Amino acid sequence: MATLEGFRSKDFLDQITILNDIAGSKDPLALSGLIDLFENPTGDTGVDYMVVGVLNSVLGTSESAVVQGLGSNSQRFRTLCIRTAGEYAFASAAAPLIGMAGSETDPDLLIEILAALAKIRPAGGNAVFRAFLNHEDHLLAAMAMEMAGVYADAAALPALQAALSAAEASENFEHCDITTWKAIDSLAAIATPESLRFLVENVHHKNPTARRIITDALVRLGETVLPYLDPVYSTGSTDDRILACNIAGFIGQRKGADALVRAFDAGHFTDPNVRYAAFEALGRIGTLKGLVCLVDGLEENDELILMAVVVGLERHAAPGVLKTISERISAGTENSPRICRAIIAARALRLFQELYKDELVGDHLIDALRQSQDQDILDAFAQRLVEIGSDRSQADAANLPRARVATRKALAVDDSKSMLALYRRILTDLGFEPLLAANGQEAYAYVENGEFADVVITDMNMPIMDGVELVSKLRGSLGYDEVPIIMVTTESENSQRDVAAKVGVNAFITKPFKPGAIKALMRDLLGD
Amino acid sequence: MDVELAKPFVKAAMDVIGTMAFITPRAGKPFVKKNSIATGDVTGLVGLTGDGKRGSVSISFQKGCAVAMVKNMLGDDIQDILQDVKDAVGEITNMISGQARAGLAEKGLVLQGSTPTVIMGDNHSITHIAKSPIMAIPFETDAGNFTIEFCFE
Repeated sequence: MATLEGFRSKDFLDQITILNDIAGSKDPLALSGLIDLFENPTGDTGVDYMVVGVLNSVLGTSESAVVQGLGSNSQRFRTLCIRTAGEYAFASAAAPLIGMAGSETDPDLLIEILAALAKIRPAGGNAVFRAFLNHEDHLLAAMAMEMAGVYADAAALPALQAALSAAEASENFEHCDITTWKAIDSLAAIATPESLRFLVENVHHKNPTARRIITDALVRLGETVLPYLDPVYSTGSTDDRILACNIAGFIGQRKGADALVRAFDAGHFTDPNVRYAAFEALGRIGTLKGLVCLVDGLEENDELILMAVVVGLERHAAPGVLKTISERISAGTENSPRICRAIIAARALRLFQELYKDELVGDHLIDALRQSQDQDILDAFAQRLVEIGSDRSQADAANLPRARVATRKALAVDDSKSMLALYRRILTDLGFEPLLAANGQEAYAYVENGEFADVVITDMNMPIMDGVELVSKLRGSLGYDEVPIIMVTTESENSQRDVAAKVGVNAFITKPFKPGAIKALMRDLLGD
Repeated sequence: MDVELAKPFVKAAMDVIGTMAFITPRAGKPFVKKNSIATGDVTGLVGLTGDGKRGSVSISFQKGCAVAMVKNMLGDDIQDILQDVKDAVGEITNMISGQARAGLAEKGLVLQGSTPTVIMGDNHSITHIAKSPIMAIPFETDAGNFTIEFCFE
């Protein structure tokens, strides 16, 4: 058996061979010798580093030695024992560690103690962590918040709620502190009616990052959250209602769709932006009731809302749905051409293929398709017509016009698929080649790849990178200092618009808008 | 637990920059990044793997801070300021990564660090590999600021 006797006088190779043997045998008899080497290092970094590792692994076999070490006068050894107690989750170390947490004042050591307790997770440990929720060291407070969630400590709710509310103070909302992030995740982990209600009430938190984290947390919780969204549909602000619809859509449960349909029936969704969000959510969930509601949405006059309806119906094209759409198109009402245009612009190929079977409806759709200036759209439908393989479809495919060759490019950024489809149509109508991105980061990737856009249209709130950040990055990029940038927003707060204007947005347009309005704005900005 | 991982890096950054470059950084409030892009004038980036975790740590310096570090480290011996800044930031990133990983190893968390990559260019951006939120810790020094960002999944 390897011994540490005369260790210091041995040469390097012997030393590491001995240490290696002890690391393998984990012989507790080597403990006192190792502690001596740890306290009084040899001076050879390689050997000393190895001593720490070997001592740690031997301590791992001796819970009592670790607990005893927690009272050591040497801070270095005490810290090692704290870490080892955590690493091996030694239950008997919990009591002395809790005692140390109560008296220690050094934040560095406190974080070691709390990290060890977090791994041991003793019964009643929640009270220890609760005491650090408001600690001035943010990392400590963040760790305490995380553990409040692990323990589902309802008594921590007031402090967690206060942390989330404090982040809304006007001077704070450009940065999201890690305590805000941890408070949100813990409120979600605690998941009592009170904590869930509070999170839902804060879906439209002023801080965009916090808002995103809240949405993600609620979506992760899934069906449990749905009952808390219901009151928002009837009493929330427009922005709250939109976000609640989004969350219900992402959760994707039947109950969520039912609640959205009820809110429609009760007349709570009069605002066009809310209707848009609700139809988008129903399209995502796709229950029978939701589909009936979507079919009713074919009566909408707003092209944007109609697009959300068509995107939803495309996902769940059922025979009954097809029959109704077919009837609406052949009825020849004012809305018939709008529906056709929406089907083309949303590239709803499945709907198209089925609806095309009816000759009259097919002709209406082909008329709408011939108006498109988007070569990609024309190509996609032409290919589908060829695949259908009838004489009529082959002839229609052959007779489709070519789109004008675009000489300019435009970058459009939005996390909504139907908004992107709408931008695509608007931009190709104006003779632009569209570059489309679902968030700021994707959009910026075009710029990094050397693409140049003559105009940029961006949403404000998006996941990953929001509009404001994208604009500030664009303004710092070669060739983008003067490019007109339009921001599309549903935001009511002026403060957020100010931030956007400051980073270099040229013009704002509020959703919903008529395609004509944004076309006019673009012509104006580009001096066409 | 990301907080536990963050602390050793913060401590190591303060230690290394204090000892090697004689600059005392003041740590600011840690915050959550909305995206995975780090911005700075000179950035040292290390990839970390081990214990079923994968992540990256970056230290992005403003130009003034990076130049001050080089001046303090090399004195009058600056040959080529660009090359020297690149070397110094790479070296400092390596030391911070090494010291922090040694601390984590004592807790049983053994991570392998890649050789640091240094990216230079005024106001450049780099992308972290991560799906989870990224924590950023801002530091102030009299010569300029720097930010440590890291993400694990």
